[in-house]
Amino acid sequence: MSRGMSRELDAFVVAVRFSRDGRHAGFALGDGTVRLATVGSAGEWITAAVHDGSVLDFAPDPTGDGFISAGDDGKLNRIGADGSVSGVGNFGSKWVEHVATYALDKGKGLIAASAGKVVRLYDQAGQVLKDLVHPSTVTGLAFDGKGKRIGASHYNGASLWFVAAKTDTPRKLEWKGSHTGIAIHPEGEAVVTAMQENALHGWKLPNGEHMRMSGYPAKTVSLSFTRNGKWMASSGADAMVLWPFFGGGPMGKAPLELAGGDGIICNQVASNPRDEIVAGGFADGLVVVADIGSSRILPVVPPDHGPISALAWSADGTQLAIGTETGYAAIVDFAKR
Amino acid sequence: MADFDTQVPVTVLTGYLGAGKTTLLNRILTENHGRKYAVVINEFGELGVDNDLVVDSDEEVFEMNNGCICCTVRGDLIRIVGGLMKRRDKFDGIIIETTGLANPAPVAQTFFVDDTVKAKTRLDAIVTVVDAKHLPARLADSHEAADQIAFADVIVLNKTDLVTPEELNAVEATIRGINRFAVIHRTQRASLPIEQVLDRGAFDLSRILAMHPDFLDGDDDHEHNEDISSMSFEVEKPIDPEKFNAWIGVLLQDKGADLLRTKGILYYANEDRRFAFQAVHMIADGDFIGPAKDGDPRTSRLVFIGRNLNRPQLRRGFEGCAAD
Repeated sequence: MSRGMSRELDAFVVAVRFSRDGRHAGFALGDGTVRLATVGSAGEWITAAVHDGSVLDFAPDPTGDGFISAGDDGKLNRIGADGSVSGVGNFGSKWVEHVATYALDKGKGLIAASAGKVVRLYDQAGQVLKDLVHPSTVTGLAFDGKGKRIGASHYNGASLWFVAAKTDTPRKLEWKGSHTGIAIHPEGEAVVTAMQENALHGWKLPNGEHMRMSGYPAKTVSLSFTRNGKWMASSGADAMVLWPFFGGGPMGKAPLELAGGDGIICNQVASNPRDEIVAGGFADGLVVVADIGSSRILPVVPPDHGPISALAWSADGTQLAIGTETGYAAIVDFAKR
Repeated sequence: MADFDTQVPVTVLTGYLGAGKTTLLNRILTENHGRKYAVVINEFGELGVDNDLVVDSDEEVFEMNNGCICCTVRGDLIRIVGGLMKRRDKFDGIIIETTGLANPAPVAQTFFVDDTVKAKTRLDAIVTVVDAKHLPARLADSHEAADQIAFADVIVLNKTDLVTPEELNAVEATIRGINRFAVIHRTQRASLPIEQVLDRGAFDLSRILAMHPDFLDGDDDHEHNEDISSMSFEVEKPIDPEKFNAWIGVLLQDKGADLLRTKGILYYANEDRRFAFQAVHMIADGDFIGPAKDGDPRTSRLVFIGRNLNRPQLRRGFEGCAAD
């Protein structure tokens, strides 16, 4: 690794995110703690004990300098950059399986968390705005590119809700089967879900035309659109699979496969928020960064530290954070000097 | 194939409301056996135990889009197992309690169908708790009660103090008529040594198949009461794995809806290790387990529990799998 830092955290890295100001990276772990690293500093990482159990999902605080975490102790918590922990929501005996946040203008923001069939929407201060109830357990949450809509995947499809609607009726996107994750095109042109049967399903918006993307040897757990929504990267194959969302695609177009060929399944993908670059993490611990235009591959982490379980770019696209199932954590610095 | 030793054992606990399922679960959780279990339950309020690894879940059954008509799985379990694996070091096993009316097939199939679940866990045993007094009525008014018995590896025949010895023998005979291969424990207040229920593993399968030859060759006298029956077959010659796979594949495809459980221990030609086979409806899985003890006969055995079993056809089919 060229520049950056790494630690052994001794617990499953469930998720990693950068704070909104880009100054901190938070690693959310299976032991219920969140480890906070200051980007570019060799100093100690702060350990915050956040959940009595495991962290299940993790997102940047939409307005502050910290993070929001969802746990299998039924709690939704806020973690400050200093490691302070405060409660946002309590779902009792239910696991809080998903959390998504969105930063609006003027210091406002949205926090959405799901427990069972309910998505609870909060403002940035933790005030409950509304509950959105689904026909079955919510398996994934995503805001659209403008924070106007929120999508939730579940059995037999996905629901798309207007956040500010006076009356809550979702746009129902239906397709039989178990949908296990969701991504929304940054320009709002499509919704894509991952499915139990090693395939993706999509709906073009606004007409709802179906898209089916199949051929994966394993389940897709990670979906990531590039900045303009030109490509959508996905895990679940022995390469990063990128579907073209331009020129009439993805239907009838072959996906671009990057960093494949050795039979190791790609676990995680993360598209760079600035450039047409995608990072991929594999089941053997290898992390690569690929330039989509040239298909040039740069290995970043050797396959030595356990299966990759989390990947994230900082908002300015210069830092890549990496976590593995065996507790290895790293932040790689790609900033030009 | 995933390594048997690193996979988390999963015990499925079924039984009608009031049979004593929760009592048994409370025993497992409170007794001092030095092991920790993550417990997946549906009715949180019922369990009066403070266990930080209790997961409250809604049973969510869905059909797989894989062309297999009876292939239903529990989506909630796939998610929960995934979540629990993030703190794998905190428990030794998983116990899943189903609701009283549950069909055990989707639970069992979940452990065959989902790749991640299959890699990280193994279905250790299906334990069915039945109420000695009320079982006859349950069998009369629902097919789930019979299904739960048919699926069981271990049956806890509970509340034996509420029936006469004659009634108890009759109810045990009824159970045997449905499932001749499950281990039956007679209990009061679901009291029995925990090791009779948990961490049974392939042990039960080989033990039942190896140590109860009398069941294997018994006649079918018990089958008249219930539409579900159980049958077993033996082949003394080594098995040709290709022939077996071809035969069982077609059989499960054609008759899978009627075949609730299929289990077997197979001795392949030119292979010291035994092959443990099992299927739930159409979905099958298998793994090599250790070699047999020296001196044990290398007899392959296969057990079917289901509806409309055709004994001569199954026998001919299995015998046809012998290596040339």
